Amino acid sequence: MPTESGARNTLKQFDVMTIEKHMKRRLQFTIVWLATLAAARGAEPARPTKVEFSRDVRPILSENCFACHGFDKAARKAELRLDTRAGATATTDGITAVVPGKPNASELIARILTSDVDDVMPPKKSGKHLTATQKETLRRWIEQGATYQRHWSFESPKRVMPSPVPGTAHPVDRFIQARLAAEKLAPSRLADSATLIRRVSLDLIGLPPTTAEVDAFVAATKKDADGAYRQLVDRLLASPHYGERWGRWWLDQARYADSNGYSIDAPRQIWKFRDWVIAALNADMPFDQFTIEQLAGDLLPNATESQKIATGFHRNTQINQEGGIDKEQFRVDSVFDRVATTGTVWLGLTVGCAQCHDHKFDPIEQKEYYRLFAFLNNQDEPTLKVLDPGAGASELTTEFKAIEDKLKAYVKDHADELAKWEAGLTPEIMKSLSPAITKIVAVPMEKRTFAQNKTLFAGGIGGVGPFRLLNDRHTELDTLLNQGVTTMVMKELPKPRKTTVFIKGDFTRPADEVTPGTPAVLHPFEKPAGQPTRLDLARWIVSPQNPLTARVIVNRVWQHYFGRGIVETENDFGLQGTAPSHPELLDWLALEFQKPGGDGVWRLGDGVRNEAPKTFERTAKTPDPGPQTAWSLKSLHRLIVTSHTYRQSSSDRPELRQKDPNNYLLARQQRLRLDGEIVRDVALAASGLLSPKLGGPPVYPPIPDGVMGQGQVKRTWAVSKGEDKFRRGLYTFVYRASPPPSLNVFDAPDGFSTCTRRIRSNTPLQALTLMNDSGFFEFATALEKIIQKDGLETAFRRCTTRAPKSDELAVLKKLDTLNAARALLNLDETVTRE
Amino acid sequence: MSLSPSHNELSRRHFIGRSATGIGAAALASLLSPRLFAATQPPQFAPKAKRIIWLTQAGAPSQLDLFDYKPGLASQFDKDLPASVRGEQRLTGMTAGQKRFPVAPSVFKFHQHGRSGLWLSESLPHTARFADDICVIRSLHTEAINHDPAMTLLQTGHQIGGRPAFGAWVAYGLGSENADLPAFVALISRPSGPTNAQPLHERMWGSGFLPSRHQGVRFSSGKDPVLFLSNPPGITPERRRAMLDDAATLNRLQFAEYQDPETQARIDQYELAFRMQSAVPDLADLSREPADIFDRYGPESKKPGTYAANCILARRLAERGVRFIQLYHRGWDQHNNLPSGIKSQCHDTDQPTAALLAELKGRGMLDDTLVIWGGEFGRTVYSQGVLTKDNYGRDHHPRCYSIWLAGAGIKGGQAYGETDDFSYNIVKDPVHIHDLNATALHLLGLDHTKLTYRFQGRDYRLTDVHGEIVKPVLA
Repeated sequence: MPTESGARNTLKQFDVMTIEKHMKRRLQFTIVWLATLAAARGAEPARPTKVEFSRDVRPILSENCFACHGFDKAARKAELRLDTRAGATATTDGITAVVPGKPNASELIARILTSDVDDVMPPKKSGKHLTATQKETLRRWIEQGATYQRHWSFESPKRVMPSPVPGTAHPVDRFIQARLAAEKLAPSRLADSATLIRRVSLDLIGLPPTTAEVDAFVAATKKDADGAYRQLVDRLLASPHYGERWGRWWLDQARYADSNGYSIDAPRQIWKFRDWVIAALNADMPFDQFTIEQLAGDLLPNATESQKIATGFHRNTQINQEGGIDKEQFRVDSVFDRVATTGTVWLGLTVGCAQCHDHKFDPIEQKEYYRLFAFLNNQDEPTLKVLDPGAGASELTTEFKAIEDKLKAYVKDHADELAKWEAGLTPEIMKSLSPAITKIVAVPMEKRTFAQNKTLFAGGIGGVGPFRLLNDRHTELDTLLNQGVTTMVMKELPKPRKTTVFIKGDFTRPADEVTPGTPAVLHPFEKPAGQPTRLDLARWIVSPQNPLTARVIVNRVWQHYFGRGIVETENDFGLQGTAPSHPELLDWLALEFQKPGGDGVWRLGDGVRNEAPKTFERTAKTPDPGPQTAWSLKSLHRLIVTSHTYRQSSSDRPELRQKDPNNYLLARQQRLRLDGEIVRDVALAASGLLSPKLGGPPVYPPIPDGVMGQGQVKRTWAVSKGEDKFRRGLYTFVYRASPPPSLNVFDAPDGFSTCTRRIRSNTPLQALTLMNDSGFFEFATALEKIIQKDGLETAFRRCTTRAPKSDELAVLKKLDTLNAARALLNLDETVTRE
Repeated sequence: MSLSPSHNELSRRHFIGRSATGIGAAALASLLSPRLFAATQPPQFAPKAKRIIWLTQAGAPSQLDLFDYKPGLASQFDKDLPASVRGEQRLTGMTAGQKRFPVAPSVFKFHQHGRSGLWLSESLPHTARFADDICVIRSLHTEAINHDPAMTLLQTGHQIGGRPAFGAWVAYGLGSENADLPAFVALISRPSGPTNAQPLHERMWGSGFLPSRHQGVRFSSGKDPVLFLSNPPGITPERRRAMLDDAATLNRLQFAEYQDPETQARIDQYELAFRMQSAVPDLADLSREPADIFDRYGPESKKPGTYAANCILARRLAERGVRFIQLYHRGWDQHNNLPSGIKSQCHDTDQPTAALLAELKGRGMLDDTLVIWGGEFGRTVYSQGVLTKDNYGRDHHPRCYSIWLAGAGIKGGQAYGETDDFSYNIVKDPVHIHDLNATALHLLGLDHTKLTYRFQGRDYRLTDVHGEIVKPVLA
């Protein structure tokens, strides 16, 4: 370690001018430092005396210094790196950036305090600027010995039990309330029953409660508030709609959509993957298995169809079908996307930043990026033909055969009638017939196939009546059984592709060859005997040694309930991310999530997970998780939503507005505008139109003219009929190039890249959509009928869950019934979760 | 409260989604401002331009037949493009299999125009009248060789979709000058000729990871210029007003209870939506434009949805303070029959473009409006398919192409940058799309290195980590 005198000695090597400059700077330094100190004291009176590297120092260095003095060798200036202690304290050309314990001897301090524009750090042209407080923090950090800590998220979570808080048993509340007590803040009262049932219903299943459910819950709460709530949570977690609600959460991350993207944007079939996600979540498939099946289900021994379908996760990338393209370019782009998505979704790291160069902030080398790339570079990208297991293939086949027999008999019985019809075909009539029909008419009657007869009857004398009914069903079954549904999956190539580093991420500039591997900064990767595959990568990700995945996932679940994660940068747990607001709670949740069973203190009822949803067949390889299974998302949800922190009122309070206006400390709940799909679902449910049908091919509710048809190929949008017009928002067909406007306007993601947090914007286009979209107008006319039949109060309750106050009713009564229905569907409260 | 300073500052910054070094803390106030389209922040320095009209020629117009005069090519007819010129340029799959790369000189004559003597093709007689106002950049280049990635790069600074469009960045940085209209409007026109219209995507005017309020609002030529603008059937303006008033009353009661600023914002958004319902149809209604206006813009200008009609609309949008008007015209992808294709495209665009420039100039608006005309890449000097004296096609070419700029802060009457004798490689003053975007932002008073938004742990910019302001094109 260089000493003060040692540092001085090295000054001898400088020429006189340098020394003069150095002395001048020292003088400036002392003056500026005193001023800084005064300013800092004025601005920040209460600060911890001990500077902590991870919490206080690294964010400053990462934001302002690491771009040039960090991990990326190529970008490093003056051979100085500040991301390691060895680098920061090394002496180069007689200059030492950080001399532990001696800020005055540290070049870093001199350079951040100098007023010399040529010398000041960060340089003016970087656009970065240190505040007086930040400068003082760095000074004190060096004064206190300049200790480094490993970045918190690369260390394993530590189990710290929350300190007891009188009257609070729930561990989540103990963590939250201990912190609130330190700030002399009290949590809010429990939200009232109606608000609570609406909140937890929207959060767990994405649908509002019915008025009967509300009445029952309010009554039960009066007898036993906690018991009633526990039962409610259990019921909701067992609902198959839970899988839809949380399935959408995962589909955002999976960048799911129903078309190929780019300019051609042809429709694709991959909804089986969507249904797989819903089913897996409903079955509470443990998250580690959920991960393995999606990343590498096809590589599991004796992989089932369901496990293959799961690999659709990484097929949700775009495919360019434009003429004249180099397919390899776009294949490589899709692998880039897969690497970045894997990093963001499971590791909460911006791995994609190392595609062109070493990561600027996190310790991930470009070469390591391509080692991850190597896992994902060996796939064939086929489609899989699947028969819906829920469809009951054998029964359907029987029905199909029976109908076919009936149709054949019908054709035979009506041969004379057909002959008569054909005889009456004048040239004028022939012109009006479809070419398919005229072609068949030209075939002698006895030579016609069954399929030809079917077409002929359907277009002629069988167009109405019994033939039509049978024929429609026959066609439907034929599609289901014989045409089949396909879904896009992953398949390992027998011989792996060669993977190289690409210079600057350019696929035309291959460099060194690399083998599959994981970043050195994380837990070790256990190399298998042969070529490592995606399965090894998936297992490495869900390894108990991985410090990141469980934290990242619990944080993303937490974010859904409070509008913000414990780590606010939910997709960046790296050095540029924010520090957790409640680090101990985050670690505790992460460990609970991975732990089988649990200590039972907070567990408010088991057994829910044993109940398989009826609508979906349990995926073949999914073992019944049972209450002792680790990585249970349902247990995690139950844990969070049973806390007081979750159940408290979201009303703001004057003292909170003053002390914690952004609600970091959670002394209240947070009002959240509903997701785009759920805005639709709530309106459908309130107006009584909602179809509860689960899964299946995407549907086409009405959209305005002119939305389709900007692409190269004109796409049709045949509006769904019957109940498919009123399905939940998550089943709406999404063309990446022309997403459905009423979802898009409420910030539904577009499926181009992974979306780990939705923005909640508030715009006039949303108002126009809710007021004037023909779909929403249809919902309003249905709600009007409810007003006419059951009264305004019922309609109000269907929209907001609570009973209207007299002044609210008085306002609505001034309006005609249709207008009242429209006003109700447009209320802030209707599109918000309190 | 004792949240550590670094945590507090970082968290707030991340939550607001703006970096402390980019859009500053002032953004917080305006984010909560009820005026949705209000400016996010004041310009970073004195702007030359208040707005941009981007006349986007989708499909890639041929620089060789419009702007980049190569008199020497006449003697090279049907000779092979020297391999030394071609270098290692990637070819598209459409010509990669060609055995020969025969040089196709332009069939169009070039003349010098204006005091500046700018060379322009005979296919642009109307634009030529503004030779002293426009600055042709002949040395623009890109990396992409296919339409979709190239257009995405041109619009968002990146080949893969998902980043904010240029206009969204401007909306984010500057907001709108008109409280009743969005800051960013997209107009799409269809070519009149039978051409392969190039694809366009919602995301080309999308907000990417920026909040959706910054996305471009597409004005269409149908009965609803903006989606969902018209009241549903049977709803009169009076009924709508009554409904809005009562919904607002109920929302205010809700606000009193929860004190959530989002509720207040929603009340204001409904009012703005109401105002848009009258402001937008008024704007899109060209029927009260004087007859001579249609004469200036040409015969197509009375047909809604044409480039000419959209040019009139663009001027009306500009007059009303819309910051960024992106007008698309498709059909420039002449892989074959280029001479007739170019004629048809120029028939659609040349006169209206010139009329727009004339009108802006006449109203004094060209001084603070930046007009950009161009496509996503250039075209090859060699013919795609059969070459004859009067017919040929041209494939995609990313290494050099031409666009022009006019108006606010632009030094007109010049051609900037040079290409080789084959318009295949740049020999002087290359300008990348990032440089173009940096320059356009500069004219708006925005420093392209400081207009940032934090997403997935990184401060993103329109110009990524690139971009140099092209000073010689500035007045």
